[in-house]
Parts: sequence; C-alpha cells; structure tokens
Amino acid sequence: MASRSVTSVTISEDPIAYENTHVHAIYEQIAPHFSSTRYKPWPVIAAFLSSLPPGWVGLDSGTGNGKYLPLPAESPGRVWTIGLDRSLNLLKIAKNAGGVCREVIWANVSDQPWRKGSFDYAISIATIHHLATYERRKQAVQRLLQAVSPSHGRILIYVWAVDQDDLSKREIPVVDDLSAAEEPGKDVFVPWVLPSDTVQTRQEQVFNRYYHMFAKGELTQLVSEAAEEMGLYVGAKSERAGIHRGIDFKQNGWERSNYYVEVHCWAV
Amino acid sequence: MVRLITHNLLACHVKGCTSNNFPLQFQDVQIELREADYNADFLKAFLPKLEWKALVDSARKLGDTSLPLEQPEMLDNDFLKNLHHVLLEVLSNRRYHLQLLDESPPRYMSRKGV
Repeated sequence: MASRSVTSVTISEDPIAYENTHVHAIYEQIAPHFSSTRYKPWPVIAAFLSSLPPGWVGLDSGTGNGKYLPLPAESPGRVWTIGLDRSLNLLKIAKNAGGVCREVIWANVSDQPWRKGSFDYAISIATIHHLATYERRKQAVQRLLQAVSPSHGRILIYVWAVDQDDLSKREIPVVDDLSAAEEPGKDVFVPWVLPSDTVQTRQEQVFNRYYHMFAKGELTQLVSEAAEEMGLYVGAKSERAGIHRGIDFKQNGWERSNYYVEVHCWAV
Repeated sequence: MVRLITHNLLACHVKGCTSNNFPLQFQDVQIELREADYNADFLKAFLPKLEWKALVDSARKLGDTSLPLEQPEMLDNDFLKNLHHVLLEVLSNRRYHLQLLDESPPRYMSRKGV
C-alpha cells in the first residue's frame, strides 16, 4: 500500500517540468474529489474580502475550485474577483462557483495575462507553495505586485507552514540537525488519496503532490525580497525623499497550518 | 467565454508582445448573455478605473452601441443600466494566440492578430 504520510523530496530536474508532473497533472486528475473537500472559506480570507471598498476588482491567482469568487457573501456584486488557475478541470468547477457564472482565466501564476496595475486587490491562497524553487515563488509574488494598483493595491497570500495544527492529520518529517530559528522550509510530497468509488479501478489511488512547506518568517522574507527587487520600499508609507512606492505589511500570521500576509501598496 | 469586465483587464502576454497588447482582439466571435446582479455602488466606483475606449470599442464590435464614446458626467439610471449590461452581462470568446499544449497554458491573441 502506498504511503499516506508526508515525505521529504529533492527536486533534481527542471522546476517547470517538475511542477507539471507533481502538481498540475495531479490536480487535473483529482479535481472533482479535491473540490468536494474545499468548500468552507477561511475566516481571515472572508474578512479580507469583506473589508474591500465597493467597485474593486481583484485577481484570485490559483483560484482552484473558485470558492472565494462568490465572496463577500453578504453583499454579492460589490466587488468582482476574477479567478486564474493552471488546472482546467478545477476551472470548470470554478466557472460556476456558488451556482453563478464566474469569471475565470486559464494561465500560470507566473504569467501576466492582464494589464499591469489594473486590479485593486489580489489573493493567492494555497498556491505559491506548489512552485518548486525560491526564485519561482518570488516571481509569483512579483506578478501579484504587478497586477495590483501601485497606489492602493492590497494583496493576501496564504501558504502551507512547517508548523502544523494539532488537529492536522499530517505527519511531518522531522529535521533534527537544525535549530528552530534557522529551520528552512521543506520540500515534501503530500499524498492525496482518491477513494475507490471515484475511480474505475477497485483500488484507491494515491497521488503525491509537491509542496514547499514554509518556515516561520519565510513568507515575509519572500514578499519583502520580491518587492525590493522591484524597487519598492518595505515599510509604512514614507514621504522621505527618493521613496516613491512601497508595500506595508498589514497582517502577518499563522492560521490552521498556514502562514499568511496581507500587504498594502502605497505611492507618494 | 468572459464578460467584458474581464476583457477590460486582460492583456496579451505572449513573449515579445509588450506594446499594443490591449485589448485582446476578437476572432470568430461568439456572444452569450447572462444576467448578473445589478449593483450601482460597484459600477460608480469601478467606472473611473475602466479603460473606457476599449470597453466602448469592444462593445460596438459585438454589436452593442448603448454606451457613448465619451464617459458622461451625469451618471443617471439609464446610463448605469446600460453600463451594467455591457460590462457584466455580455460574454464573448476570444481566440488564443497559440494552440493549447500540454505544458503551455493559453496565450492570448495579440492586437496584431494571428
């Protein structure tokens, strides 16, 4: 029987080919079953979407089954979120998220199929951790920074954490030769078990999805480096000479085995 | 099929297609109409951020001439209803720049056309 626990992996091939095999191809196969387990919006994300002013349009980069496209639930149509994903089978589900025709586009999170700065907000939930190198994760963050307005854009990012909830069923491999402070993120396979009744064969199937589990502080470091590389100042809005654009961390936390950050763009 | 609101946000991202890449051009166009919830607050706040000319030109190419060439100063009910319809209820397809390959997500058609 195939392993059900999380296992460490080393990426030895081209990262794009690696993602195609160990992320994209798997989501295409497990899409309906995966979607049936992903219906409850996480509170921080729902609150973020409820906090947006009317008339804002946003990008959900890695929308999956589109469960955030109908939000905020209390005022439908006050904002419009457009979903982007690499999995066509997940997008087919997202297209009708909440029983309404949604806006979805098929692309990679490292592409930029939009007008720069045309969105007011962007969310990327449980997506960037599927990219196989630090550089590619940084590029995905830069795409979010480029997609939103440099003067008022807001971005919310969630990624899987090395620190797991007690309630989580996962067993995480322990790396014991590193101190906690220096502990880096981990590249792992996380199994997805497709029950036997959803496939034609009689046996259940196990698919190992690639994840980069983020260490404490790694997400803020990634976002800061991505911004600085674009010439953005990291910190509160400043009138100091020479500083024209920046990002400010509004939230930075851990929820249910994930790290998240909310950043606001500013310009003077 | 996407609504014209999305069409107003997308641009071609084929390598080298960095200028003149907005809006995406229609080809062998198909149109679909879908009702959407009317929300005047959304429309009024979104309006200043819209690429107006691109929206009006695209709507006209799809046969809808209900929007004026210049944005009106007075946002009356008739105008907002027309804007709502064009922006959120008219869906169209667009042609992909390249065929959809196994490892390559869609590339959108450039202004120059294929």
